[in-house]
Amino acid sequence: MLVLTSITVLTLDFRGAGLVEDVRSAAGTVFDPVRNAASAVFRPFANVWNGVFDYGDVKDENERLRERIAALEGAQVTQADAQKQLDEIAATEGLPITSQIPTVLARVVGGPSSNFEHTIELSKGSDAGLKAGMPVVTGAGLVGRVVQVSAGTSKVQLVSDPGFDMGIRLVSSGTIGIAHGRGDGRALAAEILDPKLVVPESEAVTTSEFARSIFPPDVPVGIVTSAKLTTDQGGQNLEVEPLADLTGLAYVRVLLWEPAP
Amino acid sequence: MLLVVILALTLQTSLVAQLRSFDATGDIMLLLGIAAAIAAGAEMGALVGFTAGMAFDLMLQSPLGLSALAYCITGYVVGTFQTSVLRAAWWIPVVSAMVASAFGTLVFATVGEVLGQESYLSGHLFAIVAVVSVLNGLISSVAVRLMRWALRADSEPRLALR
Repeated sequence: MLVLTSITVLTLDFRGAGLVEDVRSAAGTVFDPVRNAASAVFRPFANVWNGVFDYGDVKDENERLRERIAALEGAQVTQADAQKQLDEIAATEGLPITSQIPTVLARVVGGPSSNFEHTIELSKGSDAGLKAGMPVVTGAGLVGRVVQVSAGTSKVQLVSDPGFDMGIRLVSSGTIGIAHGRGDGRALAAEILDPKLVVPESEAVTTSEFARSIFPPDVPVGIVTSAKLTTDQGGQNLEVEPLADLTGLAYVRVLLWEPAP
Repeated sequence: MLLVVILALTLQTSLVAQLRSFDATGDIMLLLGIAAAIAAGAEMGALVGFTAGMAFDLMLQSPLGLSALAYCITGYVVGTFQTSVLRAAWWIPVVSAMVASAFGTLVFATVGEVLGQESYLSGHLFAIVAVVSVLNGLISSVAVRLMRWALRADSEPRLALR
């Protein structure tokens, strides 16, 4: 009987029964205060544990980030003018201007609750205007999208999730394709349908402006690290290294943007 | 018993999930069904496993019912082997909890992969199975005692009415 019940619930979830998400959202709303209080109590212990295991990695990352900050400060000046020109062009073409989309700053309050999730928990929820489907970014690039919202918190599916798919665009050529996650610590896998296109090293990748796209266009996603012909030689398989550091997220911004129905 | 499930869910989401070793974390919700099976047999193991799994599924993005199914099956399987073999020595329940945790994690990953959840069966699964098994083995004694207390507390009002 219990096995049959489990299978029935699984079937309902796979058929997209709205009741499932409503139940999850309600459970999250009820349980969040308890979990938040417990997290506040246990956070120092978790920090000590992770500090012991990750000390070497944290030290290396600190040095790498210092170098990166120095490079970014130099690039900031030249990018300001380029952004101004992009906004003017986008306004002329009637495209949503990513830099002008209202955002909500949220703190990352938790990671995945199980070993098979690629998610983060945010400190803001429907009370702050968040809805499922909204993109989440850092100053570097795309982090993921909101998949579950309760009153005071929300859950974000990271771009590294194997179930995460999105339309992308190669900046220099404008070629569009599809990218999806492959798990923690791995570059995204992308496919384009042009086998003859020469993809330059470190080619920048952004979200595309596909009709009914689930993301606004021109959100930075990553850079191409490799390009190989597909086995049928009808396209190319790319590896895209995400720009956003998905392992050390502390604060993110949720774009208050919803895809067209 | 429900109180134990809620307590375990709170610990799992607020503490255990934040303690990562080798990019894996523990799964004490799976341990609940195993402990119930060791304490009270196959049917109780299946029931507690189902309840704990369903409660956990409400907090996850994996298909609703997947944890319930995997933990229910694991609890039942452990319960069917929980007779004298498990009680012969003090370390046998610990080893049983470790083996059952590995089994439950593999069932979850396999069923999930069959249902279309990509990369559940990946190379990283070995680290996940190891971390879950070791952690559950370490705290299995406490979990079994807690489950015996919880199940006895659930049955006492019924005994008083007789």
